[in-house]
Amino acid sequence: MNKNLSYKKPLLETPFHERTLEACYNNDWYRWAGYKIAKEYSSTELEYTSMRNTAGVIDITPMHKYDIKGVQAREFVNKLVTRDVSKIQPNQIMYIIWCNEDGNVIDDGTVFCLKEDHLKIMCAERNLNWFTDTATGFNVKIQDITETIAALAFQGPLSCKILNLLKVTDIENLQPFKFGNYKINKSDVLISRTGFSGDLGYEIWCNPADALNVWDSLFKFNRDYKVLPAGMNSLDMVRIEAGFIQPNADFMSAEQALRTNRMKNPYELGLSWLVNLEKNYFTGKKALKKIKNSKLNKKLVGLDIQGDKPANGSVLYDSNKKEIGIVTAAIWSPTLKSNIAMGYVDSNHMKLGSKVYAEIYHPEELEYKKIWAECEVVKKQFFNNNRKNAIPAYI
Amino acid sequence: MKNFDIIIIGAGPNGLSAASYLSKSGKKVLVVEKNEKVGGLALYADSSSSLSKKVIDQLGLKINARKKRTFVTSLNDSFNHTVLEIDENNSIKFNECEASLEDQNSFLKLVKKYNLFAKTLSSFMFNTPPRVKSGNKSDLWQLISMGWKVRKLGKKNMRELLRVIGLNIADDLEDNLTNDNLMGILCNEAVLGSNLGPRSPGSILTLLYSNAINGSIFRNNNLDTEQIISSIEQSCHDRGVEFLKSSEVKKLLINNETVTGIEMNDQNIIESSTIISTLDPKTTYLNLIGADRLDTDLIRRVTNFRSKGNVAKVKIEFKNIIKIKNLDEKYIGSKFIYAPNIKYIEHAFNNNKYNNYSKKPCLEFYIDNKNISANLYYIPYLKNGSHDKKEIESNIQLILNNFIDNNELIKFEIDTPNEMEKKYNTSGGHWHHGDMEIDQLLIIRPFYGSAQYETPINGLYICGAGTHPGGGITGINAINASKQLLKK
Amino acid sequence: MSKSIYDVAIIGGGHNGLTTACYLAKAGLKVVVIEKQSYVGGAAVSREIHPGWTYSNCSYVCSLLRPEIFRDLELSKYGLQIIPYEGSASMLDDGRYYAHYNDHDLTYRSIAQFSKKDAEAYDRFGKDVMRQCKIIKPLLKMTPPDPTSFAPKDIMGLLDFAKFFAAKDELGGLGEKEIYDTIRFWTMSVRDYLEEYFESDIVKAHLAGSAIIGTALGPYSPGSAYVLLHHYMGEVDGTVGAWGYSRGGMGSITKAMAASLKASDGEIKAGSPVTEILIKNNKSYGIVLENGDEIYANKIVSNLDVKRTFLKVVEKKELPEDFYNAVKNFKIRGSSGKLNIALDDLPIWKSIPEGDPAGTGDLHITQSIEEMEGAYDDWKDCRWSSLPYVDMCIPSINDPTMAPQGKHYMSVFVQYVPYNLANGGWTEDKKLEFGEHVMNRIGSYSTNFNDIINHAEIRTPKELEQEVGLTEGNIFQGELTMDQLMFNRPIPGYAQYKTPIKNLYMCGSSTHPGGGVMGAPGANAAREILIDLRKQINTHYI
Repeated sequence: MNKNLSYKKPLLETPFHERTLEACYNNDWYRWAGYKIAKEYSSTELEYTSMRNTAGVIDITPMHKYDIKGVQAREFVNKLVTRDVSKIQPNQIMYIIWCNEDGNVIDDGTVFCLKEDHLKIMCAERNLNWFTDTATGFNVKIQDITETIAALAFQGPLSCKILNLLKVTDIENLQPFKFGNYKINKSDVLISRTGFSGDLGYEIWCNPADALNVWDSLFKFNRDYKVLPAGMNSLDMVRIEAGFIQPNADFMSAEQALRTNRMKNPYELGLSWLVNLEKNYFTGKKALKKIKNSKLNKKLVGLDIQGDKPANGSVLYDSNKKEIGIVTAAIWSPTLKSNIAMGYVDSNHMKLGSKVYAEIYHPEELEYKKIWAECEVVKKQFFNNNRKNAIPAYI
Repeated sequence: MKNFDIIIIGAGPNGLSAASYLSKSGKKVLVVEKNEKVGGLALYADSSSSLSKKVIDQLGLKINARKKRTFVTSLNDSFNHTVLEIDENNSIKFNECEASLEDQNSFLKLVKKYNLFAKTLSSFMFNTPPRVKSGNKSDLWQLISMGWKVRKLGKKNMRELLRVIGLNIADDLEDNLTNDNLMGILCNEAVLGSNLGPRSPGSILTLLYSNAINGSIFRNNNLDTEQIISSIEQSCHDRGVEFLKSSEVKKLLINNETVTGIEMNDQNIIESSTIISTLDPKTTYLNLIGADRLDTDLIRRVTNFRSKGNVAKVKIEFKNIIKIKNLDEKYIGSKFIYAPNIKYIEHAFNNNKYNNYSKKPCLEFYIDNKNISANLYYIPYLKNGSHDKKEIESNIQLILNNFIDNNELIKFEIDTPNEMEKKYNTSGGHWHHGDMEIDQLLIIRPFYGSAQYETPINGLYICGAGTHPGGGITGINAINASKQLLKK
Repeated sequence: MSKSIYDVAIIGGGHNGLTTACYLAKAGLKVVVIEKQSYVGGAAVSREIHPGWTYSNCSYVCSLLRPEIFRDLELSKYGLQIIPYEGSASMLDDGRYYAHYNDHDLTYRSIAQFSKKDAEAYDRFGKDVMRQCKIIKPLLKMTPPDPTSFAPKDIMGLLDFAKFFAAKDELGGLGEKEIYDTIRFWTMSVRDYLEEYFESDIVKAHLAGSAIIGTALGPYSPGSAYVLLHHYMGEVDGTVGAWGYSRGGMGSITKAMAASLKASDGEIKAGSPVTEILIKNNKSYGIVLENGDEIYANKIVSNLDVKRTFLKVVEKKELPEDFYNAVKNFKIRGSSGKLNIALDDLPIWKSIPEGDPAGTGDLHITQSIEEMEGAYDDWKDCRWSSLPYVDMCIPSINDPTMAPQGKHYMSVFVQYVPYNLANGGWTEDKKLEFGEHVMNRIGSYSTNFNDIINHAEIRTPKELEQEVGLTEGNIFQGELTMDQLMFNRPIPGYAQYKTPIKNLYMCGSSTHPGGGVMGAPGANAAREILIDLRKQINTHYI
């Protein structure tokens, strides 16, 4: 039997585990694709604040990574995803989603163009079978390289400054959705200006052997600039503020949903900008054309909720107390000082400014209190800072 | 090249039938055929009786060969051969039979039962299969009327039908018969050309299904295949269909999910906004259309479509005129069956399961003077085509030598499913382009989304044996598809 | 010769007979269960064949028992407890093993050793099977409507059935695609079905096991995928597809049922073989026991399989000819054998390390689906499989009541074993030879197995028939093939637990929804009887 498979260790450890274990005072772990990832290191509030105030470091190694090589690599990815990626250039990154034949979203991710015949896709769910089946007839080789790359998200207003202090040359001029090859304390790394936070931030991809060196480097200036390792809880907060959706949280992946009505199409998710119906054929094109021309029954929207009690799992109603939807993710946003959420509403309440009501069950000293809160339909992108796209980046 | 309303790819019986039918409706039709000769896979069949009167009328075929009687001879290792005589009314007489009178009667009763059920199914054959849950009233109506037709059988028969469609043929035979030869005859009809053995559930359904068109398992109106093909070809010529033979289509030209024409292997391009492919679903989808134009889910369905053939065609020439031991010469024009008992056939099938050809195969053959033309099963399609033909030859010889006296084999030719695949561009070399089992029949033939002869590509239709109602030289696939096409 | 009178007499004290009895007794009827053996339980028994050891010597694991029945009959109060498995494994010839764990990520990695694609496909497979389980669940409780009937009840039943596919349900409405998937699943061979998901031999073989257990089908036979579903549709505490041990052996289930029955004032007459059902003017009115005693009852319910009921205890002259012939042609084939082994120690497996939870659940010996099909080929020729598929477990690891301290009980289920053995049939010597054959196969995967065998009980289909009364030793009381499922089970036209004889009912696994220690046939039969008696009870199931 495989040496590293033991029933006593059901979860894998990332190359950063030595450090995350040390930092995770709470010993509170999350399962992410079979890996052990800190849910909370010490305090979710502080970890969240580091990402909005200085910088936070998140171990995103479990993110699935697929290597796509071959003369038809770009053609293949173009067939896979709804967006036109046929002209993606080396060092460019695009945010992508892919759908099944019914136009329901399977997963989202980013595609990195290394060379014209060499791409990488990073995504949250396992997609090896879907990719290989989609590649039928294409001259490409697809490989799961998840275990060969260690990855960190380095997010926050000081992220560029710290990289700069680490002598990562010209990092401030790296544009959003671009990447380049750099060195951090002698280790070769690939840095992309991407992230979940809606703020200035990078993702750092390196050889597992260099993982600890990279990790330690990012904390090197902690006396002056307090960088914190951030857990999954705080990551969830920033991604909701930034309005990013997550498969199997805001919608069920079409490959995994047991109940057919849990699958969602890009229009329902508010991702119509990612769908290009003019480009060459891609899986779901026919269905999406049809969906585009028919009435949308539900849509994922942002909600600004009265009061300060998060509306997790709340049912949404119209003013006549008729059920019109549900909340998929909700937090109290410390930065915005707002009670925000994402949720599905029916066709009568999709417009910005529509009023709906959330029934919130809030625990108060062992007893749940039922709160009836008015919500306004708003844009999902609650938090949007100019730092995100500024060039040169804030140092 | 001229403009055509419709281009048909493949000049098998379905291609020809569609061409004839559509040109009668005023369409300008071009048939493109890879080979020099038309007929396709049907050329492997010696005779056929699945052409229905409906089709003959609709295509205006001139066929005039109604024989007085047909013989079916089942060879027996102890030389007590069974000879059935089928007369003009398709009724059966035992000319030679070692079985008891009780068995003979049970046999006739069984055949009558199967014929009744086959007839019930026949009404499903002439329609485009309905879609379930399309929300379309006509589909719902068709589903209800299908149910009604089964109900009209009456309580007792309906119950029996609903029972036997899931049953295997061996069980039903063993429940009713004791004579091996009689059981062998019916097993042969049930399993030949399928990926089933006598003990595989569903083998009764294949029997009913493949004989549904004419509602009778044993029929007298056996026609020479060449004659059928040439009469359909003639009807095409009469109706002004044009042919392009010895020309292989390389791929379809598709723009914006709509078909615009075909590109030939010699790079010629012929434009048309409507194209019918009679090739099997796998070849049509993966080669003609190309996987790059298919939804991934559809690619999965196409690749999961089971289309591994397991019948080989054998042509044997003997030195002298062939005589069968202990059989009256007047029966030499019989259809001969060598499938002596259920166990033998099942053992032959066992090999097939593990991608081996049967060491002791079953045979169905015709004798013409010094020649034998035989269907040999089970000879499965093998990935690398690694059949040891010499061994197959000696295996057959072992069987035939038993029955043929004082003769010498001088020529042996065999086309395994691998050769069939190559010659006729049929993925897997399957007679019926794909297994005819419940999960690949009727509303699911060939698979979800393609069972109405349409494809995801606008203007591209399919009507090969991989579509409803499946294989056999029926022409019905073509006519159903043509009707569907003309509706648009 | 004594005579006694009851409202209902139930022939056979298996889990279904007891279930029917319990529900009817709960409705206030005077009920008696008549059992041939000196103990109740049928094929769900715990027996001390070897001093100190408790064998679940027929059925051995539990999952299908409907939770509503568990609850209605208060089985927990009467001592029943189900212990879930911690995993399962297949042992390979090359020293590796393929394991499933309760931990999803661990299972993923275990499969990924053989194929990463298969590990991923396992989730999609699990989802698709789960969807089918959810579809089939309400059908289990249904009395199959007669498609040939115009009675309002049957038309409504059929409409219910159609509505079920057409309407929006908890699955969010089944689309056309999902309906086709259902048709495919019910009719395909398990091998074809698995090939659509998996590439690795051992992954397919491990999963295909459930599709052949107890059947006279091979994994290549169309219809075998349904049998897989039949074994997956069970649950342990809401975990669909999970299996568990019944604490104290399978007999605990029927013991609890018997106790529940007694608490409802039902009676059990054990050690009373029935020789005849008394019928007059096409109405049954009583039972004759072997000792000559007669028991009269308003309703007679047979828990025996349909062949045994109508070919052994009902006279031919009482039955319509068609029905009689249909019963004669009912397919009920013995294909399984069983070894119950008392062990002096825990077996040490060459591949699975001690302590690995995968080793405490069901262990399979199989290398590939091809090998399993080959095992089936042997059976078709009336031989036991030269490479039998073995499904074994050691309940005593999790259940301390099964064996003396430090010692263990191992249940070994063997597929395939014929009822009619070629060359002269079963003899005592042949039986021993068969047992040795199986133990040799198991022994080749262990370093100590051969040395720790204290006692072994070998059971062929013949023993199952003789002792439990299952015709030909078929564990499902009839093949689970399309021609014998739903409204075809057991006999077309008699799928509603009634028989051509008035007041005579069937409640065994020969009826819908079939075999397995499920209780659904028994509870469904009870419901039909209560409807006929115009009686109502308020329970979760009925």
